[in-house]
Amino acid sequence: MRIEQHPILDFPERKPIAFTFEGGPMLGREGDTIAAALHANGISALSESSELHRPRGFYCAIGNCSSCHMVVDGIPNVKTCITPLREGMAVTRQAGKGAYR
Amino acid sequence: MNAEILIIGAGISGTAIAWNLARKGQKNIVVVDSGYPACGATGRCGAGVREQWATKMNCLMAQKSIAFFEQANEILEYPDDVEFKQEGYLILACTPEEDAQFTKNVALQNSLGIPSRKVTREEAKQIVPHLNEKAILSATFCGKDGHLNPFKMTDAFYRAAKRLGVVFLFPETVEGIDVSDGKVVAVRTDKRTIATSKVVDAAGGFSGEIAKMAGVSIPVYPERHEILVTEPIEKIQGPMVMSFSKNLYCQQVPHGSFVMGRGDPGAKHDHDISSGWRFLDEMAKTVREFLPLVAKLRVIRQWAGSYTMSPDRQPILGTVPEVEGFYLACGFSGHGFMFAPMTGLLMSEVILGEPTTLDMTELSLARFHQNQAIEIEKSVV
Repeated sequence: MRIEQHPILDFPERKPIAFTFEGGPMLGREGDTIAAALHANGISALSESSELHRPRGFYCAIGNCSSCHMVVDGIPNVKTCITPLREGMAVTRQAGKGAYR
Repeated sequence: MNAEILIIGAGISGTAIAWNLARKGQKNIVVVDSGYPACGATGRCGAGVREQWATKMNCLMAQKSIAFFEQANEILEYPDDVEFKQEGYLILACTPEEDAQFTKNVALQNSLGIPSRKVTREEAKQIVPHLNEKAILSATFCGKDGHLNPFKMTDAFYRAAKRLGVVFLFPETVEGIDVSDGKVVAVRTDKRTIATSKVVDAAGGFSGEIAKMAGVSIPVYPERHEILVTEPIEKIQGPMVMSFSKNLYCQQVPHGSFVMGRGDPGAKHDHDISSGWRFLDEMAKTVREFLPLVAKLRVIRQWAGSYTMSPDRQPILGTVPEVEGFYLACGFSGHGFMFAPMTGLLMSEVILGEPTTLDMTELSLARFHQNQAIEIEKSVV
């Protein structure tokens, strides 16, 4: 969900940005972080806990806690809470601790 | 208070000595530490264990210690797991001199039954697929080598010793050792005086100071070594990767993090264990040359600890001529963790007057006083 209207603050219209999540098309807006764009699309489970594989979501929002690590354009362990969304990004959930090749 | 045997230091050596004495039926053993178990060099170490050494004594110490680590959970009846990951050490030869030396090392190791072997660049790449094989000439590999969790290994010795009645006093700082007529009579701490006739100096970086309290001068000094750990990733590296000439060791621990370190040739001989940006910079550049993929990972944390260096980079174990009842277990030069099972066994044999499993001549303090040629271990980072 997004706050479109506010009694004091203005939220000017921002340019839409197309990206994919798990292969499906989604729209974010210019200035979003990846995690913010996913939330606006109703995706709140960003990763999973490493032992019990329970869903993990937006937590520290400042790039410290690793709860939002996802695979972006093939790169694992991207901190989606502080990484700006760009046109055409392919975002997927990450299984485990991140596989590097 | 009194103690039959008082051990100074509750690191891996002190706890291993205590357990070995206790399992042989020795009563009234007291271990004193100014902090807590594994709070010094043990808890700060890289925790690799290897049989690939250049001197016969180090090979034997390591070989028998690793045989113990393989069974440690069972022998010590440890309810947790010491996390022994036995996937080898890949030691890189980067210069023609190293390549030649490693051929000799492997011949020595093989003669002692250590299953190490020389491998080509291409074989090294198969063992560690993300290795930049162009940066090396050859390598040696031994699958018996590996890595343990130093906190859990110390905890295993500590719990097993405690079950057998060993008393641990911490935090309690030793302030003096009373010697009378050339014999140890008591140890004074900041809390009490403990009457004892046998004291073991297993104080790691502070073993020189402890020895001085008993009036004994030993040729050791502490030296800072730094280390860092990265974020965890899925497993990509089995063995420890190590280079002596390029000053590097790098291991992926079971949790998925990479732990890596290097020595600082300019390190002062003091108790400094602070962390610096220079190490971060040099470590990152070094690891990038050999393991480029690891350079992509974020550094989570860095720390440092003290090696206790001896003149020949081999431990000093046993009695001292000047003071009866004063025993040394120090000077491990960065490999006290991996030798601990043998340290514990040999020290218990010396203290109880039993025949020793290995000839202790080469490990005694006396080797430095006799003007004899000592063989210096070069396989140290």
